This record gives sequence, structure tokens and C-alpha cells, in this order.
Amino acid sequence: MLAKRIQPMAFQARRLYVELMFQVMGRALQAVSEVDETVQQEAIALPEGFLFEMMVMPNGSSLIVEHTGNGRFHYHGSTAPRPVDLSIQFKHIAHAFMVLSFQEKTSVAFANDRMLVDGDISYAIRMTRVLNRLEAFILPKLIAKRAVKEYPANLHLPEKLISAARIYLKVATNFVETVRA
Amino acid sequence: MTNKYYEFFCPVKVIAGKAALEHIPYELTGMAAKRPMIVTDKGVRAAGLLDPVIAACEESGLEIVSIYDDVPPDSSTGVVRDIAGIYRAEKCDSIIAVGGGSAIDTAKAVNILVSEGGDDIAAYSGAGVLKHPLKPFFVVPTTAGTGSEVTAVAVIADTEKHVKLPFTSSFLLPNAAIIDPRMTLTLPPHITAATAMDAMTHATEAFTCMAKNPLSDAYATAAIKKISTSLLSVMENPKDADGRLELAQASTMAGIAFSNSMVGLVHALGHATGAICQLPHGLCMSLYLPYVLEYNIESIREPLGELLLYLDGPDVYAATPAARRAEASISTIRRMRDALYKHCQLPRTLKETGKVVEEQLDQIAELALDDGAIMFNPKEVTLEDAREVLRRAWA
Repeated sequence: MLAKRIQPMAFQARRLYVELMFQVMGRALQAVSEVDETVQQEAIALPEGFLFEMMVMPNGSSLIVEHTGNGRFHYHGSTAPRPVDLSIQFKHIAHAFMVLSFQEKTSVAFANDRMLVDGDISYAIRMTRVLNRLEAFILPKLIAKRAVKEYPANLHLPEKLISAARIYLKVATNFVETVRA
Repeated sequence: MTNKYYEFFCPVKVIAGKAALEHIPYELTGMAAKRPMIVTDKGVRAAGLLDPVIAACEESGLEIVSIYDDVPPDSSTGVVRDIAGIYRAEKCDSIIAVGGGSAIDTAKAVNILVSEGGDDIAAYSGAGVLKHPLKPFFVVPTTAGTGSEVTAVAVIADTEKHVKLPFTSSFLLPNAAIIDPRMTLTLPPHITAATAMDAMTHATEAFTCMAKNPLSDAYATAAIKKISTSLLSVMENPKDADGRLELAQASTMAGIAFSNSMVGLVHALGHATGAICQLPHGLCMSLYLPYVLEYNIESIREPLGELLLYLDGPDVYAATPAARRAEASISTIRRMRDALYKHCQLPRTLKETGKVVEEQLDQIAELALDDGAIMFNPKEVTLEDAREVLRRAWA
């Protein structure tokens, strides 16, 4: 009985968590593209104006980022200014929650058919590498190891801490600016 | 609770063995199809492989309404449009693909156009675009390697935009795959070897990569056992119909396995090498397989060790300490490649192909890193890792 009453609240909490994580990730993607050279090198191969979306099917939460050139991303929130070029779609919010709460690695989620790719696969692979790099920076190593296939061996603590601090600062600034606007 | 999860799907009816072709008329009639069109290539026709298919249909009073035999090795949107035009003009109602990967992929694309309408196949490119079943479609493979008869994918080149268009939908799967030993009996030795190693790679990667699952494992191990047992005897005696059937079935089983569990770095490198150096796909698979297994070994020690049972039999498996089985599996694959090199000079290194220059290795590594297959490789591959594997595979 109690479980039945709690269930809607749990679903609501899960939805809010996924939405919040998308907002953080979108802003963090923009931030990491301003901070990290490796991410810029990955992003620079994407066409200028390239729109990337991550979303929960059928019409759930989403994040949209645009490659604005020179390896930089711009976070658009959850609304795309035009049709997106690449969309990675979670089949269900439960699957998005598992990935975003680091219970399932992104690569494992792909292998388990939790997600669909609509668009050029090679760009999806590239964006996955960017997401992995971002997660390696902003998550504590123990958690990052649960999120990525292999934690980068050449990412040492000083670089990680400095980059993470810069990314979090930019994310926080962006949140404040959004609230003010 | 375990996080393990998998999906497995293969609705293709497999019709295999002696006189399998003679089942085509019955299967077509069962789907109310009376006016089939054959899609094939000139090589298949010149080898006389269409004759038993046509005879089997005519004997049952089923007329083949049209035969398109000009599918090129890399099919294009223009070819698909032309074939669809002929299909409509001749009022056909079903398609029989007879051939290898290109003829089968072309027929899949033609089936989209004639079922969904229109002339622009590019409009249907991507995943999950198709929402309805297509026209009755049968596949008769003439090589034992690609497994295209059981995959839900087709790739067609857009020659105007210079891109390869992927099509993914379970509706692309044929209603039946007809595996008849007569179809592969005349395959030349080097194609027999390369396509069998293609199937071997499909099965090995299906069994060792990230999306492996219990059902694909069963198909993969059975395929590996058939290839290990029959390939060299078929190379010795190409007219061995039983051995040919074993290889053809192994190819289909490996196809079922990898289409449900995906492939890894061997395919990523192979696709890149094929695109840059125009090397045949099967050859690339045979070439890279041991080097990639060596690279992945610490991530796949257990499943790779298990494969020794199917690669070399129970005696060798039992006599090999568990800790050495993964290495022993790679050695068995290497021995198989050496034997094939002796038989038909199937290259074992990039240098032996004579078609790759060392300066191209970086380009291959960069392209491989963006290949979809790399996602399912058990080990994260960096650019430097890919370069290192290529350096080892060079000579």
C-alpha cells in the first residue's frame, strides 16, 4: 500500500533528476569545449551549426547543443532552433536514469539497446568520446569509472581538479545567467 | 539485481541443405507471390548459378518475370532506382536476391522503394524509418561469409553526394534465406578462404565484444566449430558439398550472432581499410583478427579462452591450462591463416596485400576511430592504440 503511494513520487523524482542532469550536462558540454583542447579537437570535425540532441523518448527531457565552430559548443536548453543533425534517444526514462545515475556505462547502454542513434553514426561515436571526456573530468574517479568504458590513464589529479573547477564554475555562472534572464 | 540485459531477434526462415532451392516456389506461393524478380550480378550469372534457381521455379510452373544481373560491387542509389523502375514496369510482386553482399543489399534497398513508393532511396536512410512490412523477399547467398541474408542493414552509395547511406530496419530482413550447397560449390579458393574468415570474425567478435548474449553466443560458437572443422578440408577438396554446406550454414549462423551482438575493432579497422585501400572486406577481417584479439586479450581472456573448445576441439581444450587458453585460441587462428596463405596466398599482413603503403596507416587509424563498430569493442580504443595495432599488422 505504502509502496503504491510512494511510486508516483519516485517517478516524479526520477524525472526531475534526469531533467536536472540534462541541464547540467548541456552546460558542462559548453564549458568543457571552452576549457579542454582534446574536446575541441574532437568537436572541430563536426560541421559548423551542427545540432546534437540527447533525449528521452517519446517526448521527454532533452538537451541540445550546437557546434558553433572552432570546437566550441553552445547549450540551447531543451529546444532546438531547427531540426537536429544527430539525436541520441533513450527508449525510456528508466534507461536514461540508469545512465545518468552511473548505474550503467554509456557504452553498455548502447550495447544493451537502451538508446537509439538517429543521424550519422561516426558523429555519435565522436560525441560519445566527448561525453566520456567530460565525465572523466567532472566526476570523482570512483564514479567516473562506472560511467566510462575506461578511465583515461593519462588524466592526472592536478589537471582533473583544475579543469573540473573551471567547468563547474562556468556551469554555475551559466545557471545564474539563465535564472536572471 | 543484475544489470544484464539483451535483445535477440531473427525472424528469417532458414531453408538449408540439399535441394533447398526447390523450396522457393512453395515459399513464394505461400506469400501469394506469383511474379518474382531476380536481382543478381554478372559474375553470378556467368558462373551459371542462376540456372538451378530458374529451373527450380519453372519446374513448379512459376515464371521469373524479370532478371536484373548488373549489380555492381558497390551498389548505388541510381542502380536501386533503375531496378525499382523495372520491377514496376514488369508488375513484379516479389524479389529474389541471388549473390553476395552487394546484390543482397541492393535488393533490400529496391524492396524499400517498390514497397514504400517513390524514386529517392535516400529518403528512407537511417534507423527505424520504415514502419510497415515490405514485399515478399528471398535471399540466396552465393558466398559463405557476409551473413547479409540475416542482417537488418543495407548500405548503398549515394554517388552524387559521395556518401554511403545506411538503412536499418527489421523490415529489411528477408522472409527466407535459402542455403543450398550448389550455390557455393564453384567459389574460387581465395574467395572461399576470405569469406569464411569473414564469418569466423563475425562469430569471434560476436562472442567477445560488449553486446554478447546467451543466444548470440550459441550461434557464434556453433559457427566457429563449423568453420574450424570444414574450412581447410574444403580448401583441399573444393567440390566437397557437405563441407560447403557447413561453411554456408556457419556464415548464416555467424550473421545471426553478430547482427544481435554487434562487432568490434576488427570491423572498425576493416571498414576503414576497405574505404581507403579498396581491400576486400573478408581479407581485412582475416588480416586483423589475431592482432585485435591480442590487443583486447586482457579484457576478453575468459570468452576467448572458451573459444578454444570450438576452434581446436575438446582434446586440445582439455590439455591446455585455463590460463593459457586465450593465447592458444589466437595461435589456432594464426595457424589457420598460415594454412590459407599456403593454399591461396590469403594475406596475413598489410604488407603482404601489396595494396597498402605504410603512410596510409595513420589515415586508417583515424577513420577507424569514428566507425560505429568501435563502440562495442570491449576495450576503449585511442588513436595511438589503433596505430599500434596497425603497426603490428603491417608486417
